[in-house]
Amino acid sequence: MKHVSPTAVTGEARVKGPTRRALAKQQTRNKVIAAARKLFSENGYEGATIRDIAAAAGMSTGAVFANFSDKSDLFREIMFSDFSTLVADMRAAAARARSIEDALLKIFSTGYAFYQTQMPLARAAFSVSWAPQEGELFRKLPPLGEIQQLMLEQLTLAVERGELGQEAEVKLRAQMLHEAYLANYPQAIFEGWSLEALQARARDQIRILLAGARRG
Amino acid sequence: MSSGGRRQTQKAATRQRVLAAARDLFVAQGYEAATIRQIAQLAGVSVGSVFTTFASKGQILSEVMRERLDGLYAELDGVIPHLRGSTADRLRSIFAIHFAFEIRHVRLFLAHIAAAYDWTLAPDATPFGRNQRLKGLIQDCLAKGVAGGDVDPHADPRAVIDLIMAAYAWTYRLAAWEAAGSEAMTRVMDQQIGLIVDGLKPR
Repeated sequence: MKHVSPTAVTGEARVKGPTRRALAKQQTRNKVIAAARKLFSENGYEGATIRDIAAAAGMSTGAVFANFSDKSDLFREIMFSDFSTLVADMRAAAARARSIEDALLKIFSTGYAFYQTQMPLARAAFSVSWAPQEGELFRKLPPLGEIQQLMLEQLTLAVERGELGQEAEVKLRAQMLHEAYLANYPQAIFEGWSLEALQARARDQIRILLAGARRG
Repeated sequence: MSSGGRRQTQKAATRQRVLAAARDLFVAQGYEAATIRQIAQLAGVSVGSVFTTFASKGQILSEVMRERLDGLYAELDGVIPHLRGSTADRLRSIFAIHFAFEIRHVRLFLAHIAAAYDWTLAPDATPFGRNQRLKGLIQDCLAKGVAGGDVDPHADPRAVIDLIMAAYAWTYRLAAWEAAGSEAMTRVMDQQIGLIVDGLKPR
């Protein structure tokens, strides 16, 4: 976050930097988010209550509710910021790739590396995404769709380069790649697969999903 | 009958009553909304005896699904030996049977998938993804394809199984979120199976 001191504002007097109050509010939000992140990781989404989160952040439940409308709002905020960072990292990694296979593997690996140290949070995210009510709002978080979009872009570029055939059915492939990417998480969550094991599995899967398009 | 034997019989009867009550409640009002208390009430047993038989609601769901799936796999065991055609066709038939069976209780099945991420689930529970029978069926199908010459023997069956299971779970979301029927689900799954198996052709 960029802090701008109110006194440092030059130019038009109407453009104000954040007031002291706004800064205090941001600090409160950050404290709540840090506490929530920790509790969601330890107890899962269902197991963490606003009361516990407030206590861990050292504030009243009222202060938490002044900043977030409910628990799912708080959880979405954490996921939104994580996914946004993740998608930017994936995009940068794909840009350094030498082939479509390499680009896709870099996208998968960036995701697995990102969550490697915070698998419980990934588990909570899957749990929420399948929940009947909270799930729908969660699934519509914009950065979530961007991962599949990025895969689609990479496939389209590969068709343009002639690496994949014109009849490559890029949309269906992008969707299936995205599904495979997500479906490998449970191996890491429940069976403790290492990053290397996930990458090896992903490499095989990407190869299979691209094979038909190569013959094109 | 010894008193120990009688206790065993009684325990089995409680178990069956709890499972039947739970299945009805899960179908009627959804897994999340159903409480252990309601399940006990409907089964005509105490909350305490539900908990001496099952560790959690998640475990009850897992058992309900296992019993339902016993029916499905009994059906499949009869059908599979008669399946003919390419590997893709045989896989498509297996999944079409799954969809036709599960569409009757999509809500229950979705709870089953969600339960895969349940924090409190005992390690011996079998949520979706740990269903070894379906994985076994796919594996047999692939082995037959290798023997028949339309599947590359170098393809890692575990990677293929995971791809197919991922496509299967995704297809369920169509039912949940877009109210697709079993025909629409089968069509989408057929397409995905085609794409995967196309990538398995011997080179």
